[in-house]
Amino acid sequence: MGRRSWVGAGLGAALVGAVGVGLLVAPAGAAAAPVLPPVSPEDLVSSVIAADAPPLGGEVEVDNALGLPAVPGVPQLANGTSAIRVWSGGDGRGRVALPSADGERTLVSDGTTRWAYDSRDRTATRAPAGEGPDRAADTQDPTTAATQAVATLRQSSTVTVDGTAEVAGRAAYQLVLTPLPTERTLLREVRVAVDAETRLPLQLTVLAQGSGDPALQVGFSEIAYGPQDPALFTFTPPPGTTVEDAPARDEARPEGERQGTTVGDGWDRVVIGQAPAPEEGQARPEGAPDLSTLGTPISGPWGTGRVITTAVATVIVTDDGRIAAGAVPQQVLTEALAR
Amino acid sequence: MTALATRTPTRTTAPLGRLAAAEVRWVLRRPRTLVLLALLALVPVALGVGIALTGGPGGDGDGDGPGLVAQVAGNGLVLPIAALGLALTLLLPLTVATASADAIAGEAAHGTLRGLLLAPVGRARLVVMKAAGVVTVAVLAVLVVAVVGVLTGLVVVGGPGGTMITLSGTTLGLGEALGRVALVAGWTVVQLLAVAAVALAVSAFTEHPLVVLAAVLGGLIVFGVLAAIPSLEWLQPLLLTSGWGAGTDALRDPLPLGDLVSSTLRALVYVVLGAAVTVVRMRRRDG
Repeated sequence: MGRRSWVGAGLGAALVGAVGVGLLVAPAGAAAAPVLPPVSPEDLVSSVIAADAPPLGGEVEVDNALGLPAVPGVPQLANGTSAIRVWSGGDGRGRVALPSADGERTLVSDGTTRWAYDSRDRTATRAPAGEGPDRAADTQDPTTAATQAVATLRQSSTVTVDGTAEVAGRAAYQLVLTPLPTERTLLREVRVAVDAETRLPLQLTVLAQGSGDPALQVGFSEIAYGPQDPALFTFTPPPGTTVEDAPARDEARPEGERQGTTVGDGWDRVVIGQAPAPEEGQARPEGAPDLSTLGTPISGPWGTGRVITTAVATVIVTDDGRIAAGAVPQQVLTEALAR
Repeated sequence: MTALATRTPTRTTAPLGRLAAAEVRWVLRRPRTLVLLALLALVPVALGVGIALTGGPGGDGDGDGPGLVAQVAGNGLVLPIAALGLALTLLLPLTVATASADAIAGEAAHGTLRGLLLAPVGRARLVVMKAAGVVTVAVLAVLVVAVVGVLTGLVVVGGPGGTMITLSGTTLGLGEALGRVALVAGWTVVQLLAVAAVALAVSAFTEHPLVVLAAVLGGLIVFGVLAAIPSLEWLQPLLLTSGWGAGTDALRDPLPLGDLVSSTLRALVYVVLGAAVTVVRMRRRDG
């Protein structure tokens, strides 16, 4: 009897272990592609552009394999996976939380004022709505990110609706933008998953040449439509907080100087700009990364400089202060510089 | 049903409650248990006094102190959560591992386990009784850190009118803040129970208490090393320690429950496995 129950207990424990490990390790599992009525790419794109962002709350997962150098303070830019919590209340009201291991950056917009709160040094930065002190919200929010990509990339690409997918439990159309064969670009494909019902872009996937895994995937891992708690969209600086006003946009970003020229259009567009001149008593403008230590040296008929390559883009910084950047191979950049 | 009705009033086994109470009294009379609990009470006090003396937030540079400690300045109700997080890395597991080591391996080393094994108490009941002592120590240890942390936070560090400032920049009232502390305390107890279950399983296999301590602390260090190796990222969901950062989530607003729930489930799997191994081993043990 002892031996039998012994075996039984062992089997039970093994079963619990197996089930527990399965629950912990197994991903959500790829559901079968939902069946949706067919839609033309034009209709889908226009409905995306026309659709208003409904009130929603959710979690956005950023899977980043761009190969960017790490920028302090913005861990979301470095390679890896990070989760962002977003709430949108419509009418320009929203809240974004960028959690880190022992802190959090919170961005709140109540429609008239934008707040950026950093728990590490307990500072709150205030700016009038419309010109945020931090562009992280614009670049990370899949809604805006995907809408911008659709609008700008449409002229030089084949746009197809390639089946359906399930994203964050929602049935979605897969809008696929592929560069035309004449485009010389590092990008292979851009996929946007669009919610079949609300026409909200749910996921943006960027695939680069020569790699099967996405270079960048930004998308909801959880989403719940519906009215959100209005308290989420107000921000009162807690006691002990340093409140600063964000510098006005034209001060921080001189007009014209950084505007730059573009060479080519579509996927192989190259932007050539002028690096900001170092100011008196300051090595470089605050916040601008030090480019002089990045990349590998390169020279050509256009001069000498350094080239920085990532999975989806190439940047050349010349020694005379010009910057050329684009989602293109290095050769296209040097041609544009030599022009 | 009929078996219950015809049961004779004379007992053939000791009631479980009395056994557990006897074990708890026995555990709490051990000087080392009391010393460890007193040392744990010093953790929040030392943190609170240190922070109160060095000044407020942003006083001397940013990002000083490990983890949440920098958040405690001028925000006393964060102190219990920061102290629990700090103690969970080594001190709290050490406490429950000591209790687990004494529970079975310690008795075996003294030769008193044989008497317990010969007593008319089922082996499963013996394990339950021993576990009751360990669970008591785990709960008491967490309570000591949490209660002393709240008191030190309110009295020594102080805060904006008995409120807690979350990482998200919102302000919580005293009641909700205490609720968050209680949540972290309960979550910490479950994590400690996972450590205790594994420690009891090791304890059931050896008669040297030091082996249990070495196994638990060594295991924690190995888990930490494994979690730091990028190519072993797939191993992360299996490691108990990889969920131990989730206590910080209690300081976010709105409260994200995802990581707290998943780390609790992971700990429960460890509890079930450790308890099963302990029971199976104790059934065959003879001294």
